[in-house]
Amino acid sequence: MNLEDIIQETKTYYCLECGKCSSLCPISRYDPQYSPRVMVENALLGLEDEIVYNKKLFSCLTCYTCQLKCPSDVDYPLFIQKARVLATAAGQHGDYAHSGTLQSIAMLMARSPLKQNRLEWLKKDGYRTSEKSDVMLFIGCSPYFEPVFEDIPMRTLNIAEASLKVLNSLGIEPLVHPDERCCGHDALWMGDVETFKKLAEHNATVIKESGVKKVIFFCPECYRTFKLDYPNYVKLDCEVMHISELLAQRLETEGLRFNEVKRKVTYQDPCRLGRHLGIYDAPRKVLQAIPGIELVEMEHNREESICCGTSCFTNCDSYSKQIRVERLLEAKATGAETLITSCPKCQTHFRCAMVNKGEEKGPDIEIELMDLVNLVATSLGG
Amino acid sequence: MEEVKIGVYVCHCGLNIAGTVDVEEVAKYAATLPSVVVSRDYRYMCSDPGQDLIKNDIKEYVLNRVVVASCSPRMHEPTFRNACQEGGLNPYLYEHANIREHCSWVHDDKKINTEKTKDLVRAAVKRVYHHEPLEVKEAPVNPNVLVVGGGIAGIQAALDIANGEKRVYLVEREPSIGGHMIQLDRTFPTLDCSECILTPKMADVGHHPFIELLAYSEVEEVSGSIGQFKVKVRKKARHIDESKCVGCGICEEKCPWKVPSAFEMGLAMRKAIYIPFAQAIPNLVTVDPDLCVYIQSNGKKCGACIKFCEAKAITPETLLNQTDQIIELEVGSIIVATGYDQFDPSVIPQYGYGKYDNVLTGLQFERMTCAAGPTGGKVLLKDGREPESVAIIHCVGSRDQNYHEYCSRVCCMYGLKYAHLIKEFTKADVYEFYIDMRCFGEGYEEFYKRLSEEGANFIRGKVAKVTDQAVTEEEKGKLIVVAEDTLLGRLIRVPADMVILCAALEARADADKVASLFTLNRRADGFFLERHVKLDPVATPTDGVFIAGCCEGPRDIPDTVAQASAAAAKALSLISKGKITLESAIASVDETRCIGCGRCEEICTFHAPKVISKNGVMVSEVNETLCKGCGACAVVCSTGAMLIRHYKPEQILSQVAALTEVL
Amino acid sequence: MAEFEPQIIAFTCNWCTYAAADLAGTSRIHYPANVRIVRVMCSGMVNPMYVFKAFESGADGVIVAGCNYTDCHYIDGPVKCDAMFARLKKMVHVLGLEEERLRREMISTSEGVIFARVVEEMVEQLKKLGPSPFKIKMETLA
Repeated sequence: MNLEDIIQETKTYYCLECGKCSSLCPISRYDPQYSPRVMVENALLGLEDEIVYNKKLFSCLTCYTCQLKCPSDVDYPLFIQKARVLATAAGQHGDYAHSGTLQSIAMLMARSPLKQNRLEWLKKDGYRTSEKSDVMLFIGCSPYFEPVFEDIPMRTLNIAEASLKVLNSLGIEPLVHPDERCCGHDALWMGDVETFKKLAEHNATVIKESGVKKVIFFCPECYRTFKLDYPNYVKLDCEVMHISELLAQRLETEGLRFNEVKRKVTYQDPCRLGRHLGIYDAPRKVLQAIPGIELVEMEHNREESICCGTSCFTNCDSYSKQIRVERLLEAKATGAETLITSCPKCQTHFRCAMVNKGEEKGPDIEIELMDLVNLVATSLGG
Repeated sequence: MEEVKIGVYVCHCGLNIAGTVDVEEVAKYAATLPSVVVSRDYRYMCSDPGQDLIKNDIKEYVLNRVVVASCSPRMHEPTFRNACQEGGLNPYLYEHANIREHCSWVHDDKKINTEKTKDLVRAAVKRVYHHEPLEVKEAPVNPNVLVVGGGIAGIQAALDIANGEKRVYLVEREPSIGGHMIQLDRTFPTLDCSECILTPKMADVGHHPFIELLAYSEVEEVSGSIGQFKVKVRKKARHIDESKCVGCGICEEKCPWKVPSAFEMGLAMRKAIYIPFAQAIPNLVTVDPDLCVYIQSNGKKCGACIKFCEAKAITPETLLNQTDQIIELEVGSIIVATGYDQFDPSVIPQYGYGKYDNVLTGLQFERMTCAAGPTGGKVLLKDGREPESVAIIHCVGSRDQNYHEYCSRVCCMYGLKYAHLIKEFTKADVYEFYIDMRCFGEGYEEFYKRLSEEGANFIRGKVAKVTDQAVTEEEKGKLIVVAEDTLLGRLIRVPADMVILCAALEARADADKVASLFTLNRRADGFFLERHVKLDPVATPTDGVFIAGCCEGPRDIPDTVAQASAAAAKALSLISKGKITLESAIASVDETRCIGCGRCEEICTFHAPKVISKNGVMVSEVNETLCKGCGACAVVCSTGAMLIRHYKPEQILSQVAALTEVL
Repeated sequence: MAEFEPQIIAFTCNWCTYAAADLAGTSRIHYPANVRIVRVMCSGMVNPMYVFKAFESGADGVIVAGCNYTDCHYIDGPVKCDAMFARLKKMVHVLGLEEERLRREMISTSEGVIFARVVEEMVEQLKKLGPSPFKIKMETLA
C-alpha cells in the first residue's frame, strides 16, 4: 500500500480544505504545529516525506471528532492509521509514554510460547467463572496496567473484578481465559500491523477453541477492535458486546434491582464507545436506572464529547495534559462529585493528569473518578 | 542531517588483547558495519602514534564519530575523548568498547572472544551513531565560604580560608565556639593544655576581618548548588543587646536561677544568664529563656540582671521581646564540621553509669582535671575524698556489635592520659582495662611506654560489669570491676573508688537532619560519607560541600586539623579558579512533552528539576548546576519528556539491541 | 547439536558493578563469555524499557546491577533502582517469564569475584531453563 492507495481508500481526495477538522481537533487547539487539514493537503500534494517523517503524525488521537463533522466525509482517523503503517515501515514511531513499556508488553505478548500469569488476581475473591461457559469476559491488558500505573494510582483490575461481579449477579458465570493476549488495538493504530495480526490471530484461535458464543468487554478499545477491525483480518464466529450494552439490554428485558446510591455524577463518553461505535445511550440508561444517581451533562457531551487526550500511550505531551485539564475543569463545573467513564484508559489518563507532585501546584482538577461497572457493582451489591 | 562517518580502532594492547582476540578479524568485521568508513587495528591505541591515527583520520576521512575498542573506559575514555577534541571533534561523539577487562582478560577461548569482541564493537558503533555533540558549560563561583560548626575543625578551616583573605561565615549553634576541644583538659601525648593551644585560635576567629562569626545560630535551609549556594541561618535570640554587652559577668553572678551545666558535663551548675566558660568567643552572655524567671513570669518577677547591668545591655525589652533573626547568605562552597556526640554509657546498665556516683565518662573526667573546672583541677570522689584506686574502661560502646562496631580511635590514648594525670594528682593505683592498645600516631607508642613505666596496671580484658556488691572485706565500700585478665586466663575483681568509662564517639543525634540539609550521604554507622574513602576524603556527593573532623568519623585533633585544612584547600582552589565546569551528560526537558506532573521533582535527591508555570502551563525545568546525571528522573517521567544527555533511550536501546542481535 | 549458550545482558552502574567487572578483568578472574555489559551511570537510571528491549532482542537473561545502598555515588540510586525493579518484576511475572531470567544485584567496586560468580551461576541456571520464551516469534498465518 502506498500513499495513493490510502488516499483512495479513505476518500481523502474529497477534502475541500475547509479547515473544519483543524478547528475542531482537540490537539490543534493547543498544538500550533499540528493540523489535520495540512496533513491531508500534504497527502494530496504527494509530499509523502512530510507525512512519514513527521512526528506529529502520531499526535492524532483518532477520536473521530473531525470525521463526524467533515463536510466531505473524509475518514481522517483511518487515513492516519494507514499513513502510520507507511511511517512504521520507514522506521518511524511516535514518542512512547511510560518509556514504551506498554508497547513492549504488547510486542512480547505477540510471541507464542508464553505461559502468562494473568489471572492471579482471580484467586483473591470468590467470583464465579466457568471454563465451560458460552460467554467470555475479555480482560485485556488490565493485569499489566496494574504495575505500570501503580503510582497514579490506577487499579484496572478493580474494573475487571467489578465486571465479574456484575456478570455474576446477572446470572452469568463467564469464561476468563488464561491465554488471551492484548487485542492489538494500539499496535493497529500505531501502524504495526504485523504485531496486530499475530495478536488477532491468537485471540481468534483461543476464542474459537473455547467454543464461546459471546464475548463481553469492559474496555471500549478492545470492543471496537474485535467488532470493527478483527473481521478484516480473522474469522470470529461469536457475538461481541460492551458490558454497558448488556446492562442496558437487561434493563429493557427483565429489569435490574439497584440499591440507592446518592451521588451527583457526570459522564465521559469514551471515543471508541461513542463516536466510533455510536453507543451514547446505553451507559446513560444504566446510570439513570440507579436510584439516587443524578446525571448532569458536561458542556461537551455525546458526539461533542472531548477526548481524554492521549491514545495508544503515544505522543502524550503538554498538549494532551492541557486537553485533560480542560475536560476535568468542565467536569468540575457541572458540580458533579464523580466523573464516570466506561473506559479504563480514559480513567488512567485523567488520573495521570491529577498527579501533582511538584511544589508549585497547577489548577485544581481533582475529582473522584469511577468506571461505570464499579458504580453498578456497588449498587447491585446488597 | 549530516551523513554519519564512523572510524573504528581496535587496540592490541600488546598481547593483552591480541593474545586472546583476533583483533585483525574484528577490525575487518567492523569495516562492514553501516556508516563505518575506516576501521583499523593498532598495537597501542593510547600511545601518541595511536592517538595520532585518530586525529589524522578525522581529517582525512572527515569522520564525525569515533569508536575505540580497548581497555576499560574508566581508564582511557578521557584520553580518546581528548584525542577527538584535538582532532576537531566534539568529545561526546566518541564511544568506547571495553574489550580487555570485559573480554580478553576474563575468557580464554580465542574464537569465542573474537565473536564477543565483535558484538561489543558492533554495539558501540550502533550507539555512537546516535551520539550528539554536547556543550561543555561553565558557571561562576561565589568566593564566600560557609563553615558549619565552630569546633577545632571549623575554626581551623575558617582561619585557613580567611587568612587567604576570602570571606568566611562561621556558624556555631552553641553560644560560644570551641566545640569539644575546649572542654578537654590536656591533650595527648604531649600533655599541653587544650585551652592554651585553642584559645588563641578562637580569639583570631573572633576578631578576624574576613570571618563573620554567627554563634548561637543554626543553618535552616540550603538551596542552590556549587558556586552559588543560598543559605538561611537562624540567629537565635540571646535576649541581650549584643552591641552593648561587655561580658563582665556581673549579671551571671547576681542571677539566682541554676541548672546543671552542659559544658561542665553536669558536674557544676550554670545560671539562667550565663557565659558557658571564661574564654568564650564571642564573650557575650546568653539568657536561657526556659529558665529565666523574668521571662517566664512575663516581667513580673526577678529582673536582677537588668538592675546590675552597667552597660545597659539587658533591658525588659531585650528579655521579653527579642526574637530570632533569619540571616540570608550567599556562598560558593560549604564546609560541614559538625562534630560528634559522646556515647551515652547508661544504655550499658552493667557499667553502672548513672547508678553509681563515682562512675564517670571521659568528658566528665576532663572537666574534673581542668584547673578551671568544677573541682578546681582536683581528682575527687563525690564525697570529697581522693580516690585510692581508679579503673579506666576502654571501648565503652566501641568495637562492640551491640553498640558501635567501629573503633573510636582516641580512647586508648586519652585513657593513658588519664592514667598519667591520676598518677600526677593522686596516689591512686590505676587500672586500664583494654582489648587492644592502639597507639598509632606520632609519639603515641612512646607515651604508652612511658605510662607502663609510670606504673599504670594494664589488664587485657573487656569489663563484664561494675558492681557495689562486695564479696570480701577489701571490696567493701568500693566499686568492683569484674573482668577476665585474658593474658593470665583468670577472672579478676578489681576494687576501685572511681571508674572512668572511655565512651565511644558517635554520630550527632541530628546527623540525619544535617545530612538532608546539605545533601550528604551517611554510612551505616551514621557518620557522613566522604566521596572516596582514600582518594577524596573531604569531598561529598554534593559538589561544593566538604566535610571535616569528627562528623565524618572519630579522629584525634591532629587528624581533624589536617582534614580541616584539606577542606579549606578544596574551597580555596574552587575560589581560585573562579568557575566550575558543569557536567554535560545531565538531564534536559523537552518542554512540549512535559506534563508538569512533578514526578522528577519528587524523585531527585539533588533538587535539580522543578516544576514551574510557563505561560500558564506547568513544565519542569532542570537546574544544570545541581543535576548530576544519575537519570532517576528520566525513569519516572511518564511521557519521556525528561532525557539524560548522552544516555538517551535511543542511544542505550540501539546498544542493547545490537548486543543481542543474532547474526 | 551444540550446547545451548544463553545470552545475558548486564546493566551495570559506572561506579560500582562496572568497576567490579573491570576488577575481575585486572585480576584475571575467568567467567563465561555469555554476558554483555551495558554501562549506565547509575542503577537508578535503568528504565524498564531497556530490560524489555533486551528480552525483545533475544536475551535469555538480564542482570541489573549497581552499588550497595551505602556507597552510591548519587546517594540513593539503589533505592530508586529497587522501586523500578519491583514494578518490572511484576510485569514480567504476568508475562510468564521465569524469575531466574531477571536478576537484581548489588556488587561493589572491590567485588570482582562476586561479579564473576553471579555470571557463572546465571549461565548455569539459564542453561537448565533453555532459551527465553520471548525468543520465539509467533508465525503469522495470513
